[in-house]
Amino acid sequence: MSPGQGTFDASTLRELVRDDRVHRRVYTDPDVFALEMDRLWGYAWIYVGHESQVPKPGAFLTTTLGAQPVIMVRDHDERIHVLHNRCAHKGAKVATAPCGQTSVLRCPYHGWSYNLDGSLNTVPHSVGFEGTGFNPDSTAFHLSPVARVARYEGFVFAQLHDSGVTLEAFLGDTRRTIDNVLDRSPTGKVSIAGPCLPYLHDCNWKMFVENLNDAVHPMVAHASVGAACREYMEVHKPDAPPTEAEIIFPFGSSYEFFDKMGVTALPHGHSYMGGKSSIHSSYPDIPGYYDSLVDRHGEEKTKEVLSQNRHNTTVYPSFTLKDAIQALRIVRPISVDRTLIETYHLQLDGAPEALLHRTITYSRLINSPASMVGPDDWDCYTRIQEGLGSHGTDWVYLGRHLGRDQVDGEATTALGTSDLSARNQFRAWLQYMTAHAADGYGP
Amino acid sequence: MDPDDVEAFLERECELLDSGDFAGWVDLCTDDAVYWMPVSSDQTDPLGEISILYENRTLMELRKFNFGHPLAPSFEVPVRCSHLLGRVDVLERRPDEVKAKVKFHCLMWYRREQRMFAGHSTYQLVPNGKSFRLRFKRVDLLNADDWHKSIPIYL
Repeated sequence: MSPGQGTFDASTLRELVRDDRVHRRVYTDPDVFALEMDRLWGYAWIYVGHESQVPKPGAFLTTTLGAQPVIMVRDHDERIHVLHNRCAHKGAKVATAPCGQTSVLRCPYHGWSYNLDGSLNTVPHSVGFEGTGFNPDSTAFHLSPVARVARYEGFVFAQLHDSGVTLEAFLGDTRRTIDNVLDRSPTGKVSIAGPCLPYLHDCNWKMFVENLNDAVHPMVAHASVGAACREYMEVHKPDAPPTEAEIIFPFGSSYEFFDKMGVTALPHGHSYMGGKSSIHSSYPDIPGYYDSLVDRHGEEKTKEVLSQNRHNTTVYPSFTLKDAIQALRIVRPISVDRTLIETYHLQLDGAPEALLHRTITYSRLINSPASMVGPDDWDCYTRIQEGLGSHGTDWVYLGRHLGRDQVDGEATTALGTSDLSARNQFRAWLQYMTAHAADGYGP
Repeated sequence: MDPDDVEAFLERECELLDSGDFAGWVDLCTDDAVYWMPVSSDQTDPLGEISILYENRTLMELRKFNFGHPLAPSFEVPVRCSHLLGRVDVLERRPDEVKAKVKFHCLMWYRREQRMFAGHSTYQLVPNGKSFRLRFKRVDLLNADDWHKSIPIYL
């Protein structure tokens, strides 16, 4: 626990999160951030990677779970481990490359090496440890595994502490988004295609996550791209809008359009927009693709699969997936005002290349740090981070359509422009933050 | 056509970017022009793998309308850049196309931060009278795979 965290008892934390507003400290206070890393990122299931990124024994990738550096590695029995990236000896990270292939995980400092399951392989010149507290069989001298690792359809998640909730229960209805991506593959298989696209943000991680299902901002923050598309059409008068404009233009859609899409909030802070109609529902078909899905599913189910369009399914706090686009983004908090977003792309096995090309084009046009969309979001997040330093007022207001939600079992739905998803995130946030970490309790 | 012509063209091309004349820059391009900024230096497939930028003439035209737009929060503050080009290496010279490569340093000033970009650019130029038109520019950043913040302009 870092200095200052002790000042956050449950009642103080409850003061920061009200039904319709949150205190600016949740975004700006480094002590709140440190506590989030312990209690929220320490207990939620956090996305680590896709199994296709470690395709064979010895393949590994490095990432972070909250503030914790970890290695995801496949061993010779095809088991996938998530290990703390910290040599049991003096603490050096044993791997620093984003990904690689190895026979053992070897620390470059004194040469301690570890097997792919994290157990100790060899320690050079170990004679000096004889008769000391050193014990090669003790897990204290292994790369320690994180508390739990589980896979859902190839998507690997891990928990730093065991919260008692299974991954399937945690994912809940968001599994239908992952299922839909697999259903869109003519063989039922998907894999990560190519490198990721990193984008460093000068803001608290929650601003990015809240924005995923914020349907009020596009018409304002992305107004210029809508205007640019209209201007293009007027000047060039093409017979039909070019693909590029079709991708960008919906980001300037009307409030009514987004209201109709709707937003659905789920337990554990998860949510998604749309379902049947989203900003991705009017993309043209790619020749041959529909037929290959009919071969697998039959006509009726194929139509059902292609009609599901959930915009930005958010698995709180670390992962967001677009089923119709097959792009996923990972949230990696660095500090209270710095967040790395990594975008990955899924290739649908057996589908025409053109489908992957569309996924990539979409992502480049929307998620790239050099796109015409991402930098406007980036700018707004940065302004918020800077503005919340102001003592003008302490509160961030999240009250749009408060009290007008519709409850349907575990799901709560509202008009798309409702602040429901942000309120739902903070409900989960407060549950994680006020739970006693020492008791292993999570929401 | 001699190397000086190529160098003069590349200097002019970068000067248009440096002076914020994006429309003027697009005017240098052929209708089938492509601007590519890969996310890794060994990238060969711009369609099946993500890039920082891979833009055709349509996107350039859209970007022309978006560039500096008063409704774009990202353009409320100015973004300025300054290129410094190294020696121009003419890789191939055909009557209908010239391929060239040049090292560059480019400083970008944006949101009170001066950021350093460096690397090399590869060009395909189409002879046009005494000068050229730009058909292809690939910008390989030294730190292509770095954690970049917003890059609201072409480099």
